[in-house]
Amino acid sequence: MILPFYLFFTVFVIIPIIVNIGLSFTNYNLDQMSFIGVKNYLNLMTDRFFWVSLKNTAIYTFFTLIFTMTLGLLLAIVLNRKLTGLKFFRTSFYLPNVTSMVAVSMVWLWLYEPSHGIVNQALGWFGIGGRQWLFDVNTALGSIIVMSIWKYTGYYMVVFLAGLQGIPGYLYEAVTVDGANGFQKFIHITLPMLTPVTFFLLVTGIINNFNVFEQVNVMTGGGPMNATTTIVHQIYSRAFFDFLMGYAASLSVVLLLIVLVLTTLNFKYSNQGADLDIG
Amino acid sequence: MNEQSLNRLISIIMLVLSLIILVPFLIMLVTSFKTMGEVLAPNFTFIPKQWAFFNYIEAMTTGNWGRYFFNSFFITAVAVVVSLIINSVAGFAFARLEFKGRDLLFFISLIGLMVPQQVTMIPVFLILKHVPLAGGNDLFGQGGMGWVDSYMGLIIPYIAGSFGVFLFRQFYLNFPKSLDDAARIDGLTSLKTYLYIYLPLSKPVLATLIVLKTTSTWNEYTWPLIITVSDKMKTVQLALTLFRDETNVQWTLMMAATTLIVLPLLIIFLTLQKYFVEGIVTTGIKG
Repeated sequence: MILPFYLFFTVFVIIPIIVNIGLSFTNYNLDQMSFIGVKNYLNLMTDRFFWVSLKNTAIYTFFTLIFTMTLGLLLAIVLNRKLTGLKFFRTSFYLPNVTSMVAVSMVWLWLYEPSHGIVNQALGWFGIGGRQWLFDVNTALGSIIVMSIWKYTGYYMVVFLAGLQGIPGYLYEAVTVDGANGFQKFIHITLPMLTPVTFFLLVTGIINNFNVFEQVNVMTGGGPMNATTTIVHQIYSRAFFDFLMGYAASLSVVLLLIVLVLTTLNFKYSNQGADLDIG
Repeated sequence: MNEQSLNRLISIIMLVLSLIILVPFLIMLVTSFKTMGEVLAPNFTFIPKQWAFFNYIEAMTTGNWGRYFFNSFFITAVAVVVSLIINSVAGFAFARLEFKGRDLLFFISLIGLMVPQQVTMIPVFLILKHVPLAGGNDLFGQGGMGWVDSYMGLIIPYIAGSFGVFLFRQFYLNFPKSLDDAARIDGLTSLKTYLYIYLPLSKPVLATLIVLKTTSTWNEYTWPLIITVSDKMKTVQLALTLFRDETNVQWTLMMAATTLIVLPLLIIFLTLQKYFVEGIVTTGIKG
């Protein structure tokens, strides 16, 4: 009964991983293929675009994750109270997460539009000069990060909310009797009890953010001057524009290794792996 | 400040914040109803001066929009139905049947959750390009396009994911053992046990997975971008980029098309919110 699933899974997940590693040692370009050893990896070391994309991906992941997780936690704590309009608030914060990244990118392209976009118009009302957000080397990556924070915060909020609702109420009652204030409750009960959820979000968040591609390809195409190119964007353009399949495969192996290393490090140093039920 | 007025203050702050979150959607909507002249006017107005409903007609008649929508609907429907059947059967087997190597096989399928699609997109493309006897290929998968630029190529990779298997397995693990024993006494085979007992009880998971899988398939951009060549195989997400070339963007048409693409999912989300949240809460993983 697992045969149909395993057939698809083997052909489209397991075999591709192996094929990918194999390809990374070749110079396959859709026409010809020969084994070239670790040459692709040596070329990577001196490939300026690779290092820039690595740096951009790291910056993107760091800032997006810090903000989405912090804001998600804050919102979850606030929206865990009994408020009027609770459902409306939760729905609006989660809404960006339901819409496709392409649609969202289109809308934000329009918001960031230099002469008629709402961002520059709104800044103008306060007497602040506009910018060419996505066409400026200094602001392009930041602009994409801001959009991604807007899109993903609701997701982190929902998972944190689930975590908060799993904390048994008697723990709070116990420390209230001991005279703890709200801040102390947060530090001594909420945060420790949320550690498994936080850890889980951190691991999956790193993996997801490290694969940033759609918004980059739609909004900036990696530009200006490679200021927003990311690892996956490099894989895509090397493989499907330059047809350097072997070289692109070696890039994906690097991506795979980074994701694996980060995940393992997380499991090892947070000592929370045992509590976590990935399924 | 007492509890009640504190809550009221927080409510007001939250209201302002959620309205800020909604601004991009509102801008999308109002822009889709404006004329290009008004969009380019120096002063921004929120409400359109004249309602340009024709933007929607014009947007949908530029290019092959009927076809793009059909493609997206078709791909989503087939991917959701097929992957649900395959995933629930496999989830049942992993949870309730005992067979050799079960735990090892299940452990291997964990890899499906860890390894991102972006890592395997090149080999998956190459495998589909070299499917034997398809798209002009010979017996050895050479010479033609294989399943590149075809519905098979667009749909099949979505079916391979192991996310649904985990969801079903988790769900079925909670069923009492006596259920299987009762089925066995009644002489049901495993397949019939699954069909007549487990499947009818799976409605909540089915609903959750339908919602998550529909959303992720409908919203997918990267895979169609790689696997399609011709205009007639494009999905709605790819077609959105048509309103933009190097020199010019037709903002009003683009926002009208964006609205139409986002709308079906927003309606599904608002009516079936519970299932979106449930899937995320039980697994924390996006479909």
